[in-house]
Amino acid sequence: MKFSAGSAWRRILFRHEMLLLVVLIVEWLLFLHFGTMTNRRGVTVGFGTLDRQFDILRHSCEIGLLALALTPIILTAGIDLSVASLLGLCAIVFGQLTHDVGLPLSLAIPLTLLAGGLGGAVNAGLIAGLRLPPLIVTLGTYSLFRGLAEAMTGGAVTYTQFPSGFLALGQGRWLGVPAQAWIFVGVAVGMWMLVHRSVAGRFIRVIGFAPEGAQYAGVRVGKCLTFVYVLAGLVSAAAALVYTARLGQAKADAAVGYELYAITAVVLGGTSIFGGKGSVTGTLLGVAVIAVLKNGLATLPVVIRMNSAEELSGLLTGGLLLFALVIGMLPKLLSAVCIRR
Amino acid sequence: MTPLLVFQRISKSFGAVRALRGVDFELRPGEVHALLGENGAGKSTLIKVATGAHTPDGGTLMVDGEVHDGLTPALAHDLGIACIYQQPALFPDLTVMENLALRLEKPASFARVRWTDRRKRAMELLAKVGAEILPDSTVNELSMPEQQLVEIAGAVGAEARIVIMDEPTASLTRREQERLYGIVRALKSEGIGIIYISHRLEEIFALADRVTVLRDGSSAGTFDVCDINEGELIRLMVGREVTHLYPPPLGSPGEVRLKVDHLCCHASGVEAVSFEVRAGEILGMAGLVGAGRTELARILFGITPADAGTISMDGRIVTVRSPSEAIDEGIAYVPEDRRRHGVVLDMSVAENVTLAAHRRYFPGGWLRDRIEAGAARDAVERLAIKTAGIDAPVSSLSGGNQQKVSLSRWLATEPKLLILDEPTQGVDVGAKSEIHALIRRFAEAGMAVILISSDLPEILGMSDRIAVMGGGKLIGILPSGSAAADVMAVALGQSGTPGKDIA
Repeated sequence: MKFSAGSAWRRILFRHEMLLLVVLIVEWLLFLHFGTMTNRRGVTVGFGTLDRQFDILRHSCEIGLLALALTPIILTAGIDLSVASLLGLCAIVFGQLTHDVGLPLSLAIPLTLLAGGLGGAVNAGLIAGLRLPPLIVTLGTYSLFRGLAEAMTGGAVTYTQFPSGFLALGQGRWLGVPAQAWIFVGVAVGMWMLVHRSVAGRFIRVIGFAPEGAQYAGVRVGKCLTFVYVLAGLVSAAAALVYTARLGQAKADAAVGYELYAITAVVLGGTSIFGGKGSVTGTLLGVAVIAVLKNGLATLPVVIRMNSAEELSGLLTGGLLLFALVIGMLPKLLSAVCIRR
Repeated sequence: MTPLLVFQRISKSFGAVRALRGVDFELRPGEVHALLGENGAGKSTLIKVATGAHTPDGGTLMVDGEVHDGLTPALAHDLGIACIYQQPALFPDLTVMENLALRLEKPASFARVRWTDRRKRAMELLAKVGAEILPDSTVNELSMPEQQLVEIAGAVGAEARIVIMDEPTASLTRREQERLYGIVRALKSEGIGIIYISHRLEEIFALADRVTVLRDGSSAGTFDVCDINEGELIRLMVGREVTHLYPPPLGSPGEVRLKVDHLCCHASGVEAVSFEVRAGEILGMAGLVGAGRTELARILFGITPADAGTISMDGRIVTVRSPSEAIDEGIAYVPEDRRRHGVVLDMSVAENVTLAAHRRYFPGGWLRDRIEAGAARDAVERLAIKTAGIDAPVSSLSGGNQQKVSLSRWLATEPKLLILDEPTQGVDVGAKSEIHALIRRFAEAGMAVILISSDLPEILGMSDRIAVMGGGKLIGILPSGSAAADVMAVALGQSGTPGKDIA
């Protein structure tokens, strides 16, 4: 068989996702072994319970939605630091619409999604319209959206007592699994179709690989960029609804710092921060690895005794990310060494 | 008298392209030696060898009678070789004084800066070249000729004895030119040797002592300026044998496909260009680098839309404000910078082929693997693209095959007008004639073709008519079968040329 560089490239991608899958399975088995125990009443507690697994799933939905929203953006060699702030803003908008304005859910939910879309449009206008650098623009809206949310609540108001039908979205089960998992799966399938099966997804990659080349190929770069940032706004709003429903409360500081977990998941999943290369499957695996790590650590007896789950998970997530980056660089480094010889 | 700089049989190749094929050149003290040649004749490569930017593959390079094998930019600087480029290479945000200091001082890393000395030195040097520039002005406040003067002051300050000037008058007014001539003559009287590159023949006769003509990477001869005339120089520049056969035109062109009327774009410097191209016709576009040909193509393709004038396709006035609108009107553009604009290197052959014609292959916006694979296999077969497979990334292909991918991307859109910008640049000889045959076939299939090329034999061999551009304007249109010297003469702005026909 003739050696083809195309299949080699695919093999590397495949290998990256395989690597993540192996990491995921190994960490899951480790936590299952060391994090599961039986208490005095003979009931199994810790990692190896269905409740705990569903808990992991519930937690990964919010970061997962943000990571899915970020995947096409990072594929265009862009970034959106404002997704979690927009999540906070949308949570407050939803709280005000249902409580202060008194709108029914059937109106409040679409309007919240609209607010998310508008937030994304602010980013899109500055990035696609004025061609400002995404990092700076979204650093600005990162503060802006959060600031707006705090101004709207005076930094103090917390909206609680949502209708039970809405809370079921975050706390109940549909068809035996946590309800928000269905939303997550829906968005994931949609994103996968967009990135891997649509012409728009191809344009997104072209913009990431060669922004000028995209223009010369007739790609409407501005339109594509607008689309991915507005889409990220919409998905952030959906994440806000899920988040509010899970906690049963909407506060201005909702999901602070989630954008960094989401970016970590995307990059861990093999998507290049320089654009072009990456996959939705990788992002999903990245989310799963981080979510299992964060939750699993909290079940280990030694960690519980030291009360240091938060710190350890930060440490390990960071280490894992750097490890994945180095692994990703290996083929390039090896070939460089070969050429030098 | 020992010559300052001697090149003996200097050769240099870039991959398969032989930029210099054994060039002999000699620069004497106190001489202005002009270097003349078409685009791509090897002038830039020769300069880069002299400044140590390129290491020659073969031949001997002597400075002051001493052989130097491993000339580096730093060593060239120490030997007193300075180069003044067409676009001054100064730091725009630093002051004149700081720029000069960067060239001339070699302080230790944490040495104290002596501002008074710096200022004094800068003022001396600027006075020496007759520049009325304050040492404290930042470079981006200066005009282009003023920046050039700063460059020259730097060369004088470095006590350069070999000064290379690359088209220094390209952006100067008449009076600024005269002043530059004065400086050149002053440098010359101090025994400095000057290599002077210019496309303007009258300048060579006004200023130079000797002239060396480069052609296809070889020297076509060195002459005393008083022993040669303009006509002979032009003949020497272009007088090569046509090295391969061009496909013959068949039949007569059809209806007017593209009509351009007084097209202007202020931003890219294109002024009032009017011409027509018929279906089945190849219109060659000749001119020097910077004549405005690529700029014109970019207007027609909507990258820098026109601000005045009209474009008509098949008799209908169309607006082209973006490449996607151009594609909708049946206009295709194969750009000059293949690697950055023509193909997406990291994507596969198949993805590149279907990129511009996605509406045709993927109606509804969803990818279809089988259709894509079919289209890619068709393209690979039709254009004889050599690739490991349709899934291979374009970066793994040779230059000529990358160019064919770029071509096939546009053929897939079934264009009515195909604009080709330097389609055979950096392409090896075999692929070159294949591409020529393809271009003729596209024309025969009824496309109107605009062929922009700096390769004069290619223009002469391929074109049904030849449009010559200069300074953003269309200078003239010549019929097929025009002599190379006529085209060159029009492009160089020589008057009284036969066959000149302003459209």
